Amino acid sequence: SPVSLVLLFRMNRKKGDKGFESPRPTTHQVVCINNINFQRKSVVGYVELTIFPTVANLNRIKLNSKQCRIYRVRVNDLEAAFIYNDPTLEVCHHESKQRNLNYFSNAYAAAVSAVDPDAGNGELCIKVPSELWKHVDELKVLKVHINFSLDQPKGGLHFVVPNMEGSMAERGAHVFSCGYQNSTRFWFPCVDSYSELCTWKLEYTVDAAMVAVSNGDLVETVYTHDMRKKTFHYMLTIPTAASNISLAIGPFEILVDPYMHEVTHFCLPQLLPLLKHTTSYLHEVFEFYEEILTCRYPYSCFKTVFIDEAYVEVAAYASMSIFSTNLLHSAMIIDETPLTRRCLAQALAQQFFGCFISRMSWSDEWVLKGISGYIYGLWMKKTFGVNEYRHWIKQELDQIVAYELKTGGVLLHPIFGGGKEKDNPASHLHFSIKHPHTLSWEYYTMFQCKAHLVMRLIENRISMEFMLQVFNKLLSLASTASSQKFQSHMWSQMLVSTSGFLKSISNVSGKDIQPLIKQWVDQSGVVKFYGSFAFNRKRNVLELEIKQDYTSPGTQKYVGPLKVTVQELDGSFNHTLQIEENSLKHDIPCHSKSRSLEMFADSPLLWIRIDPDMSVLRKVEFEQSDFMWQYQLRYERDVVAQEEAILALEKFPTPASRLALTDILEQEQCFYRVRMLACFCLAKIANSMVSTWTGPPAMKSLFTRMFCCKTCPNIVKTNNFMNFQSYFLQKTMPVAMALLRDVHNLCPKEVLMFILDLIKYNDNRKNKFSDNYYRAELIDALANSVTPAVSVNNEVRTLDNLNPDVRLILEEITRFLNMEKLLPSYRHTITVSCLKAIRVLQKNGHVPSDPALFKSYAEYGHFIDVRIAALEAVVDYTKGTFFKYFDTL
Amino acid sequence: MRTALYGSKMADTASGGSGTRSGSKHATTPADNYYLARRRTLQVVVSSLLTEAGFESAEKAAVETLTEMLQSYISEIGRSAKSYCEHTARTQPTLSDIVVTLVEMGFNVETLPAYAKRSQRMVITAPPVTNQPVTPKALTAGQNKPHPSHIPGHFPEFPDPHTYIKTPTYREPVSDYQVLREKAASQRRDVERALTRFMAKTGETQSLFKDDVSTFPLIAARPFTVPYLTALLPSELEMQQMEETDSSEQDDQTDTENLPLHMSTDDSGPEKENASVLQQNTSLSGSRNGEENVIDNPYLRPVKKPKIRRKK
Repeated sequence: SPVSLVLLFRMNRKKGDKGFESPRPTTHQVVCINNINFQRKSVVGYVELTIFPTVANLNRIKLNSKQCRIYRVRVNDLEAAFIYNDPTLEVCHHESKQRNLNYFSNAYAAAVSAVDPDAGNGELCIKVPSELWKHVDELKVLKVHINFSLDQPKGGLHFVVPNMEGSMAERGAHVFSCGYQNSTRFWFPCVDSYSELCTWKLEYTVDAAMVAVSNGDLVETVYTHDMRKKTFHYMLTIPTAASNISLAIGPFEILVDPYMHEVTHFCLPQLLPLLKHTTSYLHEVFEFYEEILTCRYPYSCFKTVFIDEAYVEVAAYASMSIFSTNLLHSAMIIDETPLTRRCLAQALAQQFFGCFISRMSWSDEWVLKGISGYIYGLWMKKTFGVNEYRHWIKQELDQIVAYELKTGGVLLHPIFGGGKEKDNPASHLHFSIKHPHTLSWEYYTMFQCKAHLVMRLIENRISMEFMLQVFNKLLSLASTASSQKFQSHMWSQMLVSTSGFLKSISNVSGKDIQPLIKQWVDQSGVVKFYGSFAFNRKRNVLELEIKQDYTSPGTQKYVGPLKVTVQELDGSFNHTLQIEENSLKHDIPCHSKSRSLEMFADSPLLWIRIDPDMSVLRKVEFEQSDFMWQYQLRYERDVVAQEEAILALEKFPTPASRLALTDILEQEQCFYRVRMLACFCLAKIANSMVSTWTGPPAMKSLFTRMFCCKTCPNIVKTNNFMNFQSYFLQKTMPVAMALLRDVHNLCPKEVLMFILDLIKYNDNRKNKFSDNYYRAELIDALANSVTPAVSVNNEVRTLDNLNPDVRLILEEITRFLNMEKLLPSYRHTITVSCLKAIRVLQKNGHVPSDPALFKSYAEYGHFIDVRIAALEAVVDYTKGTFFKYFDTL
Repeated sequence: MRTALYGSKMADTASGGSGTRSGSKHATTPADNYYLARRRTLQVVVSSLLTEAGFESAEKAAVETLTEMLQSYISEIGRSAKSYCEHTARTQPTLSDIVVTLVEMGFNVETLPAYAKRSQRMVITAPPVTNQPVTPKALTAGQNKPHPSHIPGHFPEFPDPHTYIKTPTYREPVSDYQVLREKAASQRRDVERALTRFMAKTGETQSLFKDDVSTFPLIAARPFTVPYLTALLPSELEMQQMEETDSSEQDDQTDTENLPLHMSTDDSGPEKENASVLQQNTSLSGSRNGEENVIDNPYLRPVKKPKIRRKK
């Protein structure tokens, strides 16, 4: 807007304020929202900050505030002049000639810096009335009272107002705070930093039919004089950063946790049964964290609120968490259950590290994300087992490695020099990493992923026991500090810093982890190993060669110990190699004598693994022969090794590989995810071996044996999903089978008929669980079976020239999609799968390519999963036509 | 004159006395014909008795009344006699039944033989019974079994064999699993297809082919006002299913990590016990919770009344 533009110039000339030392520490803040209008989506209220000046001649106070309209500011009851300027509203000035990403990125980073609370800046600059200057010089308390309103907020506070008849409460209208990182300034003026703590009094006056949920203890609820509204009074006595303040108002149903009465759950009307089931598990997560941290949950109460149109699935704030309502599920839903529990556990981990313990500065963020992610991982290990944990760690490791190799490094602990371009530690990125708000979302996701992986590396070095002791120490210090008065200057103990954390580690463990920190925290990049070996029969020695690629973007050189496990005939042997700059070859003596070696192709080695414990953030490309991978798959018990072997076997389409995979598939003791992965590998191998393949299509007889009736093998048993491992396998096998292709590169008719029969005979009447995910995957299987249409002279797709198999598929999709309208499935999984399948048919030229259907499903008012699937189809369509357009040129 | 009288009587009775119904309709059914013949005979009897008693003429209504009385009297004798006969476990009345009946009705039986043999009596020829009422023939199925030797002959005959004979069917009832599944599957599919096609026909549709809207009609996507409700809440069908499939185990069924274990132990007895204990526990703590709620959780506390501020 023109006003802010004018203000910007004025600000630029008045760079008077020196910040950094926080000249305006707040000790207490009152937030009072006395009117919320759902119809107009507006909020009216005031805040009152109690400020202790730390420097004399503080004549300006800078606060953060975005999109708020500020009516009046008073300091100690005296009217104060103020300037409101948000430079991020116009990042690049209109007249500027440069129009490139780099220019924008710099300008944006500068704008964010200009209002960075950690540097003492802010959008709102209040002039302390001259009458009070003397008062300030004596370092006496200032009370800053600000009246503000908010109209149709674009962020920070989200209104959900269903368009229907009835009062706002009857319509289920609600509002909640949301946003990425510190974005509390979007809904009230404050010092929007994670490092400035104060105590809080929060008041919300809402419609009598609504509930306001916020941080701290609900002290009382009082009716207004007309009895139509009530005011919720909250007190938060634990010093908390403004960025950890949150709010949710709506006609919530209230559930007091039956196991822990201090915990209250809130959900939207009609969902109470789901809320009961979903939260029934939470107390176990509480117990787990309290036990490992040997520390009680720091707040006196905890609230979970489940709301619609959530910004993120999980958002943690002081003593409360805001979740997406779509995490709620009934006892009949299998697939969502572990996902939701993971979200609950994540939210709770962040209560300890992130909310209660906050960070000193943005560059210390990795410690908080790392610790909360790490203890969440411990919970995963305990709850879902070591296999699931290791699988997850591998998955996270693969993700961060792929990201860093693609986009360049992720730096956990950036240190910023003078702010000059060449000092930028992340010059490979198109954005600045100096502020959380200038990051790309994907980068931040990967940042969190790397942080918890690095915590795990530290654990590997100092042991879990010491690790937990460090956490306990941080928590107890913070706990002591939190009960102190502001004047005692103890509150900074509640902020974690990288140096403090490392000091604590060295104090507790007595170990020097500096090299590790230097490698993974202070610099970015991952390690890329290439390994190969030769067996020297004469010397009975394994000659291992390990090369590194440290010149490609996103890589770094690794120097240090590396564990190698060699499985020999006589057993498994661990060797720790020292990776140094110039040594590539390592001789490893073998233990097994070469007896009866003929059968093992001249070598007593069964398989070799490099860095089996994932103690380096790396990617390993290792060469060993197919039978070694097969051994590794069959006999290595580590699920990560099994998964690696499966992926490697894709390149060896032989009957032996086929047998190894089939055996794994049949083994019930084997981890179900490994078996699922084996399905897809088997499909690929079968396709590569298509000319020599004997017997029925891959997996068909196995599926029949496992899931079909004994007497009539073409009919699947009525569904019984009590055994979850079988359930996941039953879902996956048809999807993988549909990827099979015959010599004409078509899906075998037998397979398609098989899948159609599965759909036909699917019977869930006797099942305790919903089969919506299973049916959705059967549709995915149908989509997987589709191959490109044979097109003659670019003929137009009509019903008459429709392939008969496709006709059968379309028949099913039509019925499924229509039945969804009458009996909708949980999270509309079936609609999602149908939309995807229709897009596949379009893309393969069986059905005319047309985005109209998807556009209608992408509209507001459809369930979020459906909208996303529809939008993806529209994007896919657009991409297709885009490239087609270029082809014609 | 007498004949004229009879003729008119007959016409009158034929029109049913009430005179509202048309005679032609009556004459068509055999039962009516029989009724009319009987009535006619009775009228002849009454008339002859009147003649015997010395009446020269009688009014229509008088004859009608007397006929009615006679009919009632005879009917009563019949009804009563039947009762007496059945009372003694017989089906056919005997002479003694009639005698007892007459005595009971206050008739001096002794006088009957003399009266029957009186000299001036008139003999009336039996009316020609036209149109014997056709008793609808019961469908006979097979031969009725004769009485075995130990059952006296007066007992009623056996009913038709089909009423008591068990006939085994040689086609097996459809219990074959495959057929059942096939049937259930195609039935469901047919119902679903018919239903969705109906919905598609009656409402707005979308189509994948521009040239054809009827082969694969898709019910048009309609946005919801509150989309999460339909997406999250189980459908009524599922709720019903949930109730049907064992409600006792409902409690901790989604315990992801434990279930495979549950499965491996075949004996589910103790587990069920555990589950019910658990349920009890939760309900216990729940009820305790109920008592303490007021103290325990601030969200369940009553909302306070506003303080009344004094106006300055």
